[in-house]
Amino acid sequence: MMIRVNGKDYQVAEEPADRPLLWVLRDELGLTGTKYSCGIGVCGSCEVHIDGVATRSCITSLSGVKGKSVRTIEGLASPDGRLHPVQQAFLDEQVPQCGWCMSGQIMRAAAFLETNHHPTEDQIVSAMKDNYCRCGTYGRIKRAMARAAKEMANKRARP
Amino acid sequence: MSALKEGDRVVRDKTTPSSRWRLSRRGFLIGMAVTGTALALGIPIGLPVARRRVAELVSGEGILPASDLNPLLWLEMLPDNRLRVFVPKAELGQGTHTGLAQLAADELEMPWERVEVLHASTAQGEDKYRGTYGSQSILGLYEPFRRAAATMREMLRAEAAVRLKQPPNRLLARNGAFEVSGDPKTRITYGELVSGKTNWRLPNKPATLKAVGAFKFIGQSVPRVDLPPKVKGEAVYGYDFRMASMLYGAVVRPPTFEAKMLSVKSGHALGMPGVVKVVVEEGFVGVVAKSRSQAAAARDSIEVQWDRGHLWQQAELERIITVGGRGALVVQSDGDAAAVLAGGPSLTAEYRVGFGAHATLEPQVAVADIKAKGGKIWTSTQWESAVAEHVAKALGVKEKHVEVIPTYVGGGFGRKADTDSVTHVAVEAALLSRAVGAPVHVGWDRREDLGHEFYRPMAHYRFSASLDDRKRIKAMVVEQATGEVLLGILPDFVGRAMGIDMGAIAGAYILYDMPNREFTQWMRKLPIPTGPWRGVGLFPSVFTMESFVDELAHAAGADPLRFRLDHLPRTGIGARLRAVLIKSAEASGWGTPLSAGRARGIACCTYAGTTVAEVGEISLSRDTGKIRLHRVVAAIDCGRAVNPDAVIAQVEGCVTMGTSAALIEEIIVKDGRVVAENFDQYPLLTMDGAPEVRTILVGRGDGRPGGVGEPPIGPVGAVIGNAFFALTGVRLRYLPMTPDRVKKALSS
Repeated sequence: MMIRVNGKDYQVAEEPADRPLLWVLRDELGLTGTKYSCGIGVCGSCEVHIDGVATRSCITSLSGVKGKSVRTIEGLASPDGRLHPVQQAFLDEQVPQCGWCMSGQIMRAAAFLETNHHPTEDQIVSAMKDNYCRCGTYGRIKRAMARAAKEMANKRARP
Repeated sequence: MSALKEGDRVVRDKTTPSSRWRLSRRGFLIGMAVTGTALALGIPIGLPVARRRVAELVSGEGILPASDLNPLLWLEMLPDNRLRVFVPKAELGQGTHTGLAQLAADELEMPWERVEVLHASTAQGEDKYRGTYGSQSILGLYEPFRRAAATMREMLRAEAAVRLKQPPNRLLARNGAFEVSGDPKTRITYGELVSGKTNWRLPNKPATLKAVGAFKFIGQSVPRVDLPPKVKGEAVYGYDFRMASMLYGAVVRPPTFEAKMLSVKSGHALGMPGVVKVVVEEGFVGVVAKSRSQAAAARDSIEVQWDRGHLWQQAELERIITVGGRGALVVQSDGDAAAVLAGGPSLTAEYRVGFGAHATLEPQVAVADIKAKGGKIWTSTQWESAVAEHVAKALGVKEKHVEVIPTYVGGGFGRKADTDSVTHVAVEAALLSRAVGAPVHVGWDRREDLGHEFYRPMAHYRFSASLDDRKRIKAMVVEQATGEVLLGILPDFVGRAMGIDMGAIAGAYILYDMPNREFTQWMRKLPIPTGPWRGVGLFPSVFTMESFVDELAHAAGADPLRFRLDHLPRTGIGARLRAVLIKSAEASGWGTPLSAGRARGIACCTYAGTTVAEVGEISLSRDTGKIRLHRVVAAIDCGRAVNPDAVIAQVEGCVTMGTSAALIEEIIVKDGRVVAENFDQYPLLTMDGAPEVRTILVGRGDGRPGGVGEPPIGPVGAVIGNAFFALTGVRLRYLPMTPDRVKKALSS
């Protein structure tokens, strides 16, 4: 079957159709930016966008993305290499430490900021509270998201 | 016995004569390699006496004696004017690669974008204890690394002087080049200087280091070099490493801590889809398959008969980890505390700290490509030399024929300094790779990782103390029983020579000044694996020590801050503890009123040449028993902060991880195994429970950098417990302070 990832079509084996999207991305397509950590949908390290919605790829089966569009961290920046405002804000606030959870955090944050253009701190916390960061970068994630929200608002305001 | 002086460590066994050793600074050697296209300088920093290395870890002395002629750390100047630096340190997220690059760029006057840091493989230099632990990377390399870079700068200067026909002292190093002072037209780049030259000479005397006032990068919050690849998903960690024709391995794990394999029926595993080989060796059963899930499915189908051994229960482990009985080792003794307390102590208290997991978000992983005589290992590790050693031993090959290539590490906290030769993931990958003659990736799943860790050991403490008429501490006895922290992973002779676990004593040593004090340790071998967890002994021991000192302050009717200040020793560390205590108190409004239902707690500690104090503010839900730590103000004196923002990030990380460990994380053993199998049963702190952390960098200590990756985790437990007492008048003496324990304490 074909799956669409980051705007590109990939041929993958049809069976077993229930294999998790996470391992299809990592082991079959070589897109290792999406991380494994718990495998049961608790920690959020594996989050990707499916039709723009932040989704845990470790508990999403391959068959579940048939006909849908998958975006991973590798496809978040513009084709010309310009970082997504969330990626840029995570750099500007020097958020990551070990970095293992960061693809999931960034993908979740990016999807959330598409739906909420002017989030309050409480809204940011409730959007992000199910993503683990063992290194403890939560305060910086909050700051980076507030910064990214502003930058995205500025972008929308520009003609 | 006299009071402990900085630099001294006194160890006394009740049954053996006193032994004593002193740490001293040593010079170091510089090695050179010339390839005709590049100039490379290296510093041998390997093979120190193991116990000295351990002493450094605890005392914070950053000594790096030279005893090895095969340099480990290399600076390489390339003809295209790039400086390549190979460091023996892992980037765990602590910012070490950036900090080390700052040191080199500064001494060499390099443009920042021309400096590249790489984690050296084990083929580059030998060091038996080569790894990333003990908050030692910047602290230990600060001087030797700068010295090497300065030496390279002076060698380049001498060559530039020849080329420009000028006296060396007229030349100015700037932006990766030399020029005659005031005449930029004479500029000649380092790259031009190294091209083609082969007759380099090392200078006779060591080069002068730059003056502090001339630092360009040291002391600046230079953006971390590892972050651009991390936000783009491009950084390659052990779990991400791939090779052409790579296969996947899965290994059978024992169902209990003491399980012994009796028989194996591999049944139809070999015929299952994708399976390449079923490997059965003495005590080892693994499967190699074309995909991860195929390997796991085949592994799970194998029937193994086990002798499960004794089915250990939590209560039995608590009994083992209890002070008293045989094996007491006196670690610290001044005056005669026992005699003073014999008359009846003013205060006694018992504390206990449960087991904890590292729970790195990247589980254990290695890729091995083994050929006849040896091979290569790519792995997320904090101790690459141990990986090489154990893989070589398991394969029966020479250690030099096993090259370990470290990758980015998805969380370490001590877990990836694993030296267990039996359950080492790299050994598993190597055995499987040898069996199939192809590269094999072994990545543990969360269940394997959480259930087969080495854990932060349980610890038990008994404190007793008495106050004099002026309400000062007259005598204190600390008794500690603990599972192994460092003893288990260091060679036997180290443990025998020292008798005590240097990791476990961190934080339990009595720093406060008093005429009579004694600290006794019972090192207990547990039937479950234990080892170093961020801060070694700091997390459990500073919780208990700083909680008990708080109890004494309240017994003395004194303000907990004032009481601490009144008992600090008149030493350098004492002065630096005073500075951070005062700063954290001032910045947090210590002593000023809070809104109803809020209270503050204060605690401090010292480790790896750094002092840190924290004030935290909590609230409590009495219905649920849930404590919420709202904010923490941390003041840290880590000497010279090479990269201040990286220091701040480490404080934030330590406080957050410490909050998680203090409030919610506990490993419970039942029927010979760990109960929790995944994060649904062992949750970590999330954003909604994380405190706001404000960090204040205090002063410059003695001018050298101190360690920052671990010290700030020490005070967290006591900050929460002391605030809880201020709020409720009830003392919490068991970590973690779970809702059940909180409710029980409140109702008793």
